[in-house]
Amino acid sequence: MNRWKAILGYTAAGLTIAVAVVGPLVWFGIFTRAASKSSLQIDPVYTGGAPARTIARDGYQIVVYKPVPKRAPLTQTGAFVQVVWKPASALPATVAETLDLDGDGRPDCVISFQAPREPRANLRVTAEPLSGLVQPMHEVGKDSLSSLIARVNDTIVVRVPLR
Amino acid sequence: MPDQARSIAPQSVRRIGRSLLLTVPMALFTLLLFTPALREPERPAKLAALITWAFMMMLFFQMMRTRQTYRWRRIFFVALGFLFPVGFIWDLIALRGSMSIPVERMLSGDTPFCFMVIPMTLIPAALTRTIIFPGSILPTPSNPHSIAIMAALWILATVILGKAWCSYGCFFGGLDEGFSSIPKKARLRKINPKWRLAPWAILVAIVLLAAATYEPIYCKWLCPFKAVTEFSEVRSTQTAIQFGIFNALFLGLVVVLPYLTKRRTQCAFFCPFGAFQSIFNWTSVFDIRINKEKCATGCVLCQNHCPTMAIDPSSIAGGKMLSTCMRCGACVDVCRKNAAVWHIKGTTVGIATERARLLYLYAAWVFASMFGGAIIANSLQKLIGLIV
Repeated sequence: MNRWKAILGYTAAGLTIAVAVVGPLVWFGIFTRAASKSSLQIDPVYTGGAPARTIARDGYQIVVYKPVPKRAPLTQTGAFVQVVWKPASALPATVAETLDLDGDGRPDCVISFQAPREPRANLRVTAEPLSGLVQPMHEVGKDSLSSLIARVNDTIVVRVPLR
Repeated sequence: MPDQARSIAPQSVRRIGRSLLLTVPMALFTLLLFTPALREPERPAKLAALITWAFMMMLFFQMMRTRQTYRWRRIFFVALGFLFPVGFIWDLIALRGSMSIPVERMLSGDTPFCFMVIPMTLIPAALTRTIIFPGSILPTPSNPHSIAIMAALWILATVILGKAWCSYGCFFGGLDEGFSSIPKKARLRKINPKWRLAPWAILVAIVLLAAATYEPIYCKWLCPFKAVTEFSEVRSTQTAIQFGIFNALFLGLVVVLPYLTKRRTQCAFFCPFGAFQSIFNWTSVFDIRINKEKCATGCVLCQNHCPTMAIDPSSIAGGKMLSTCMRCGACVDVCRKNAAVWHIKGTTVGIATERARLLYLYAAWVFASMFGGAIIANSLQKLIGLIV
């Protein structure tokens, strides 16, 4: 019995070395492929969730995302809707847009902000509610993940907090 | 005297010959690993790869020649711990001009994934199939350190090393090991052994809080290594407090306490990932045991030298280390009776211990060269670039 245990032990030790030598060559590819096929996703608090619809404007687009609910009882980030303007370089100097955020055909808020050409310029956004869905924002910058305006690559991301 | 000299000389030649023979397979394999970097057109990259390869092989050769593990491994590990922040901060400054993570980077999924987050992601991932981290699942040109790559690396390390990740893989642990190595003697000797439970308490707390908040709580509030890597942009009172906590914990747990106690205090009494990794002790076939027949003097040298207090009287009596043992080899090297020994599970304790050490070192050093070696080479490349 002890002999067999020892043989198993040494076999496992040899296999460990084999895994250390060969593992890196094959394992990362296998795992990455498996991860790409899995349904795992980054938390919508960071990605903004899934796009719901796209509104075409003259030279640019507005992508309205699905509402992201409050994720957990103790989380600091409340419910929000993400709206993305792209490309940022094609936006007029002042943007003021009346938007239907939940797709019920009725406007929910007016979002307005200045869109300077300078990529490092501070951005501020204001959202005036037109329905009970949205919380107001006044000259908000990057206050929290549920209430912000930020330039990400060549897009402008606005997150409107929901009630 | 001449007779003695004649008998010593062949012995030492034999030892060097044996050590060289044992180093050759490792040298050839790691040379293969470093070949892409050695073929780089830029001189700093080529030089850094060459220096790192030579450094790793010199340490491995010394481990073979002296039959000691701890002090040579420690040189590698401390180099890794101190050079990792150099390369990391360098990249951050070059990329965004600051160590802080702006919201824009979080929204674009460009935050490199850190293994520390893994325990906190488990419950939210199981419940909602989402990862509570602002990175990307798959590698992208702007974020090669994606969640899939880092998770794959962690699984590989866990299979090969188990808890020895904390001695060969972790790119943070070398910092407190470095500071704990500075003084000759500990100034603070009496440490309540109950502190060993603290990492488990922190692990349970952060896993539950992450499930309740869907936020990587440890990274947000407690990680001492944020002080030398990256942290949320200080834009509010909350982020200012977080920044203060990171620096205070770093100074206390990674610099001051290791210096005073000669222990790896962050790893032993705080790090929740270390506790998490202890759960996977069983995945490694290698461990360290105490041969009770040889350990009769009760000198407790091993207990006094263990950097994480993984040995106590009960573990000596039982012949097994506590679950927090990270197989650094300090106890084996310090034991005068050869009672603390390397061991392969299933074999008899105290038999073929050098063979067990060799097999363990081949596995561990391949991983160390591949992962830690790449980090060291990357940081060295930046430093050499300043000169060349």
